[in-house]
This record gives sequence, structure tokens and C-alpha cells, in this order.
Amino acid sequence: MLQGRAQPEAIAAGCPEMVDFGATATPLGDVQTLHVLCEFESRLAEELLPPALHPTLPGVVGWMVQRVGESPWGAFHLAQTRIECRSGVRPRGYLVEAVVDSAAAAEALASGWGFRSRLGTIRLRRYYDEVRAEVAVSGRDVLAIGLRDPQPLAAADVQYVANMNLARTPRGLRLVQVDPSFALERAERGEPRVDLFDGEAWGVAELEPAYPISASSTAGSMTLPQLRFLCRPEVWAFDGTERL
Amino acid sequence: MQFGIFFELSVPRPFSPEAERRVYEDAIEQIRLADSLGFATAWAVEHHFLEEYSHCSAPELFLTAAARETRRIRLGHGAVVCVPEMNHPIRVAERAAVLDILSGGRLELGTARSSTWTELGGFEADPDSTKKDWDEYVRVLPRMWMEERLSWDGTCFSMPERAVLPKPLQRPHPPMWVTVTSPGTELDAADRGLGCLGVAAVSYAEQERRTREYHRRVRQCEPVGGVVNDRVATNNFLYCHQDSRTGVESGMRLMGMFGLLNSHLLFTREAYPTNAYQTLGNLNPIPRGESGGPGDEVRAPEGICVGNPAQITAAARQWESIGVDQINFILNVSDVLSQEQVLDSLRLFAREVMPGFAPAARPSTAEGR
Repeated sequence: MLQGRAQPEAIAAGCPEMVDFGATATPLGDVQTLHVLCEFESRLAEELLPPALHPTLPGVVGWMVQRVGESPWGAFHLAQTRIECRSGVRPRGYLVEAVVDSAAAAEALASGWGFRSRLGTIRLRRYYDEVRAEVAVSGRDVLAIGLRDPQPLAAADVQYVANMNLARTPRGLRLVQVDPSFALERAERGEPRVDLFDGEAWGVAELEPAYPISASSTAGSMTLPQLRFLCRPEVWAFDGTERL
Repeated sequence: MQFGIFFELSVPRPFSPEAERRVYEDAIEQIRLADSLGFATAWAVEHHFLEEYSHCSAPELFLTAAARETRRIRLGHGAVVCVPEMNHPIRVAERAAVLDILSGGRLELGTARSSTWTELGGFEADPDSTKKDWDEYVRVLPRMWMEERLSWDGTCFSMPERAVLPKPLQRPHPPMWVTVTSPGTELDAADRGLGCLGVAAVSYAEQERRTREYHRRVRQCEPVGGVVNDRVATNNFLYCHQDSRTGVESGMRLMGMFGLLNSHLLFTREAYPTNAYQTLGNLNPIPRGESGGPGDEVRAPEGICVGNPAQITAAARQWESIGVDQINFILNVSDVLSQEQVLDSLRLFAREVMPGFAPAARPSTAEGR
């Protein structure tokens, strides 16, 4: 059976420290999201995921770039690279790394929900003919994705899977399940564009996007949740899931 | 009530030609036994690229082999993926007709559109159009079989006048079905006079609702073919053992493995936002049995046919009471059970469960059956 093979400590560099699990549900307003999914080599998915998680067939990498207009930490942008996976039989996205353009937001996301991130610059622009996102870290372009020719879609037709964020917690190294709720007011779908992905800069040098699947863009609000579940990364989720 | 068997042909890793061959040969042996025991139908899915979960990519070949080794059991080609990138409709009609001939008129033809990006993406098929494609197929296939020559000017394909040959043995044509995973597809089936082939695990209550709606609608259908198939079938797992705990625990392992392998697939709705796929297909958490103390009776989830003959009889009775005409059983998944366990389970089921159920005393839905 397909199962992640990465040793958790080997992929834990840069993981945030969480001193407790006390983050409360936190609403974020005026959120615009660009989500692009792309296939990559299936074999590699097993090597990048910890044993708690199962890859999908085929391997899929997803980028979620968000502009958050209202939050307790002010306005900020968040860009995530995630690998689509399963925890048990549930669809999830394993967070490889995130880029945030606000130190306050980065700190809050790391300490409250286990987001591994670096500071960088993020641009998310919506035009009538395309939606584009560009991400740079230390002046180096690391991601450029887009959605071309947006077409309206019902908000209910878009779904986002929960994050599994690797973090050092009071219980040790754990995958932290983060399942935000979304209230979407507008949704669009279009031709996916992956113009640049610098895998090395994201810590996954071998990962090469191969076959774009889809791109969606939404607007609305979301709520970061109170944490409910952790998962030991070294054993599969049926044995390693812990309720908070 | 009729009972059938249902094959995904899952193959455990590591893959090898020997392992593939053994899975196919074991399945043929299971069909031979099921034929001799009085099972009604052996179904084989069509799936592509679904590693471990299903290596049944050419079911018409598998079923042809089964047909030549059996005498009575009907053969469910189910379901053919009705998407032009995968199967041209002319080829579907031709292959089905040949299978019907070589099986002596024992074909049941299921139709589907695929629910995974793993498959649709692999063929570069457009998820937005699969429902339309399927609808066109189910209207044209009966005409290809019934009309001497046919021309077609459609959306997903067109053809000048030709004779699609051979014609099937059953007249006017083999019974047709639609696989139903998403709520609402049972109504599509009913409106077209097609059988409802449930392939996702649902509760009694949900199946009852779907069955009631289906039967209400099918009475007013405008059939796409020359005959109405108004039967409702549902999928289930089977592991029958004299010892309840052994039956339930082994059966639950079967279900658990099925759920895990199924979860690896990338379902279309998950990867490709569209209103053409309203659910994740059959990516649903596997129901768990109620757990108790170490000495407590081990119980299977509602409606699942694992356990001892009495438990399985009770579950099947409940399905029968809500109007299901046929239960099709998955017998093994990725070698969770040995071949001997599977065969013994079939024999015990046939000996102690089947006699309590009269074969469906319903008029044939196609002549020549």
C-alpha cells in the first residue's frame, strides 16, 4: 500500500514551536484565494510525506495563495505549497512550507496553528482575464501561478481540504490538523498556469510540476479553527491520531 | 432477491505478472463456483490506472473468459465508462454484442462516466462533459443494436450511416444499468428506463429513499432502449463464517482495506472544481462497528453482509424489505482473504443463506433471458 516514507525528523527543519494548543477560532475577513493544483511524479510523493500520510494517485501538489484583508494581525498575504494526501481515508493537504508577508501574522499562524513559514513578498492580483500570484523570498522569485480566462462557478463547487502542519508541540513532533471553514461569496475556475516553481527554495528540490489540473479563485471569509486533532507523523493515522 | 458477485480485481503490491495472473485466475474460479451455487450475476468494473484498488481495465475480456467457463450466471459488464476518450460508442456496442453472443445471451450492460481524476485526467477527458457524454451513449447504444443501420449526429460523436455489427443475441438488446454513486443519479436511471446499479455503500435509510424515488419515477419513464430495466441493485461485502466473530472481524478487514485503497484515488470533485461532480464519488469514511468490551459481541456496521449466516440473513432481509432486487458482493480485496476463505464463504452463504430467499419472481426485462 502506498504510504509516506519520509523520516519525520528529516523533514522537520524549520518547523514551528507550539507551546500550547490554545488558539481559539479566529475569523479572517475579505479573503481572496487562488488555488492551483498540478500533478507531479507519484514516486516522489511517497518520499516527501511522513508515514502518517498516504499520497494520492497521481501525486498532486497544490498552491494556495491568499490575500487576507481583515485579521487580528492586520492585512497579510499567505502562500502555501501543499501535497495532497490522505490521513487515514480523509483528504488532506500536507504543508511543505508557507510564505507570509507579515511578521505578526507569521508568528500567530506558527504558534497557533503550526504553519511553517518564512517571510517574503506576495502579490495576488485579479484581472478580468486572469488571476495571478507571484511569491518571492529574499528577492528570489519562488512561485508564479495563475488562472487564465476565469469563468463563474457556484461557490459550493469549490472545496478546500484541511491542512496537516508538521510542528514541534508539547506532545512532541506532531502533524497538526487545521481545517478552516470558508464562507465563499464568489468562485471562478479557469485554465491553470504554473509559470515558476522553485522547488529548491521551498525545500523540495526534486519536485517538478508536471501536469496542471485546475485553478480556482474565490472571495469570501474564512475562520481558522480551534485545533481538534493531532497526528503522530511516524505511524499511520489510524494508530497515531490524538484528540485534543 | 438475487445475489451477485462484483469484481474490482485488486492486486496487492509488489506488482508482478504472477500476482496479476493469480488475481485473475482466482476470480475466474470464484465465478465458476458462484455459477454452480446459483448466484445470479458476476459483475466486473472498468477502471484504469487505479493501482492496487482495481486492475480491471479490460472487463470485456475478463468476462468473455468467465462466460466460456460458466453456464448460467449472467455477466455484468459494469460499468463501461461512457466517455469518448476512453471508449468510442461504436466499440462499446460492438464489444458488448460479441460478449452477449459468446455468453449465450447472458450480458447485463452497466454504464458509467468515471468519478476519479486519476482516470479522467489520464485520458485527458473533460470532467465537465462526462454527464452529457454518458447521456448520449445510453441513447445511441440501443439503437446501434436494434437498427439494421444507423447514422448519428450528436454532441460527443457523429457517424454516417453504417451497420454496427454484430447484433447482440438478446432481443431487443441486453438489459442496461447505470452505476449510482451520487444522489440523484438514480433519477437519471429511472427517467431513462435503466436499472439502478448502486456501487457506493449507503445506509438503509438512504437506499430506501433512493429506491422509493427510483420506483416512483421509472413508472413514468421514457425508455432509451427497447426495454425497461426497472431493477435496483446495491453493492455490499461478503464474508460468511459459522463463527460470528471470525466472520465480522475478517469482513471488517476486507472493508477497511477497500476503504484505504479507495482513498488513494483522486476524486474529480477534489481536484477539479465543477458542478458536474457534486460528491466525492465513493470516497466516504468506512463505517465502523460499534466497539464494546472484550467479551462483547462484535458487530458489523448496518447492512454489511459479514458475520455468521444468521447475521447476513438479517442484513439481506433488511435490504430486501426496502425494495432492493439484487445485492452484489465484493468477495476479496488485495488478498486480505485467502482464496480458500473466499470459496468457503461463498459455499456457506449458498448453503445457509440463499435458500431463505426466493429468486426474484419478476418478468424478464429482455426477451431471450
